Amino acid sequence: MYAINVDNVTKFFSVINEDKTASGFTAVSSVSLKIETGKIISLLGPSGCGKTTFLEMLGGLQAPTEGSVYVDGKLVLETPPSIDSTKKEKRAYKRKYRFISPLANSMWRNRPKHDIAMMFQDYAVFPWMTVFQNVIFALKLRNVPKRERRERALHQLKKVGLDNALSKYPAQLSGGMKQRLALARALAVQPKVILMDEPFAAVDILTRERLQDELLKLIDETDITIVLVTHDISEAVYLSDEIVVFSANPGTIRNKFTLDIKRPRRRNSSEALEYEERIQSLLKYETKHLGDYAI
Amino acid sequence: MVATIKGGIILIRNKTLAFFRINIVHLLRLPFVRKARNRDILSIETPEQLCCEVQEFHCGAIKRILREITSFLKGAILNTFTPAFLVILVPLLLLWELLPRFGIVNYALIPSLSTVLLTFWEMLAQRQFLHDIGDSMVKFFAGLGLAIVVAVPLGVITGWNVAIRKRILPLFQMLSPIPPPAWVPITIIFFGVGFPMQTFLIFLGSFYPILFNTFGAVKDTEPRYLASARSFGASEFTLILRVYIPSALGAIIMSIRSGVSAGLIMLVIAEMYGGSSGIGFVLNEARSFFNVPRMMVGMMTLGFIGWFLVEILKYAESKLVVWKGGR
Repeated sequence: MYAINVDNVTKFFSVINEDKTASGFTAVSSVSLKIETGKIISLLGPSGCGKTTFLEMLGGLQAPTEGSVYVDGKLVLETPPSIDSTKKEKRAYKRKYRFISPLANSMWRNRPKHDIAMMFQDYAVFPWMTVFQNVIFALKLRNVPKRERRERALHQLKKVGLDNALSKYPAQLSGGMKQRLALARALAVQPKVILMDEPFAAVDILTRERLQDELLKLIDETDITIVLVTHDISEAVYLSDEIVVFSANPGTIRNKFTLDIKRPRRRNSSEALEYEERIQSLLKYETKHLGDYAI
Repeated sequence: MVATIKGGIILIRNKTLAFFRINIVHLLRLPFVRKARNRDILSIETPEQLCCEVQEFHCGAIKRILREITSFLKGAILNTFTPAFLVILVPLLLLWELLPRFGIVNYALIPSLSTVLLTFWEMLAQRQFLHDIGDSMVKFFAGLGLAIVVAVPLGVITGWNVAIRKRILPLFQMLSPIPPPAWVPITIIFFGVGFPMQTFLIFLGSFYPILFNTFGAVKDTEPRYLASARSFGASEFTLILRVYIPSALGAIIMSIRSGVSAGLIMLVIAEMYGGSSGIGFVLNEARSFFNVPRMMVGMMTLGFIGWFLVEILKYAESKLVVWKGGR
């Protein structure tokens, strides 16, 4: 059983220029990827290679132009009709999503489309809620019964060491604590998949390493699948079971590495360094022919 | 049980009782409350004891409101009349008093400060002026309230949904450039002279700033917040209530501030054109009798009301948008 199944996905952005001509670029071009349950997958690649777009398609924040994404066997977003589809199909799609965004879950009832949680570089914890309310809110959206919500939130916050900052607002927290809150919120809902978009990029290196260790400890013995977009090669090597290297223009999968390093891993072990070097040279090659607009 | 109290937590055996806005510090003084190891968790032996305490709190509501009002007034006055500002204000007031008195400017055109204050005192003693202020305020709050009730939901809905925005907003964008005073003749014909016409004009003045500012703030909600709420399964309704509105709340209060100033303009215009009471009427009357001090009293009253309302809104913002200030 695959947690995530990406079937030949393409994402094309069309842009209408100032002189009324249309142009566009392909962010992701026919990518197929199968991710097994319980694995940690890292997506690496040069800037602008469509990693984030790819992750957003996994999370249902963007609809693919072609192809389809399945999380836990369920289609994430309906693919909009392409240029080739009939007028009737186009009209039907337009009518269906006339008053509600295709990204919306539903109008009235809280009901997740599929069982994922997302983490972003800039945390995306709600600044108008306290630490405790943030976690409670996420659980409420998952329709967790009221009594259980509090217990689960407290339990998870205790696990990440935020149990003495329950009534604080995110503005009062440090970057590392905010990211811990985001982690606690994502884990509290017990999702099948967690999608992380450069989650540890905005914190300093010591905090980052501690957060990485904590992440590994927290998801140990669960079957949560993690997809991690990162720029940090050593982070990818330290955390993941598999690394997918993207190449840019158009974004395609360049190479896949399966890391058979035993856990618990050590940083800077000879095996890890070897992998890092291989990936580094591959990425260097990838960025070289891109010219000046990369990086 | 665990209950959230100002974000803190109270444990009472295993029963569910949620209380909000209870002062934790106050609870800590009670003998049966012991502070748990964690700072934000209080544990209480029996729920009955907490219920008694909560009843007491309800009795103390008036006291609490009074305390709140005092702190508001203190803050508003002290924040405006700072020493730095008084250094400028006092000489200006002195000039106002002395220049007409020594005949440097025409006393008939610009009466001195003491004359204006005396006139104010006389007008207050006559009681008629108080009625005028009251009348104006009733109209003003009716118009402003109506504008808030209509414009805020409309702004939120247009900010949230593109389809509704495309259908509704252009209409208001076409109507809003019509200066609100230009509506005076047609409203007089429609409603006649009186309360409905004046209220409608005030509504019209404050409606557009509130609508457009609310719309802009809701539209500019950080997409990351929407994305993470949606990924947890938020319905659109929850999204509006718990994400769009809280994130725009500060800007909505700001928009009401601009609505207040636009509404005051329309209040004066409406009362000058049609009406037999109100501050605008007093101003108009003073003009026909060439009573400059009376005019000045009217103007200063309006200025004070505007300043006071803005201070109230600032205070509301500081209380409601706690998270922005943080700390």
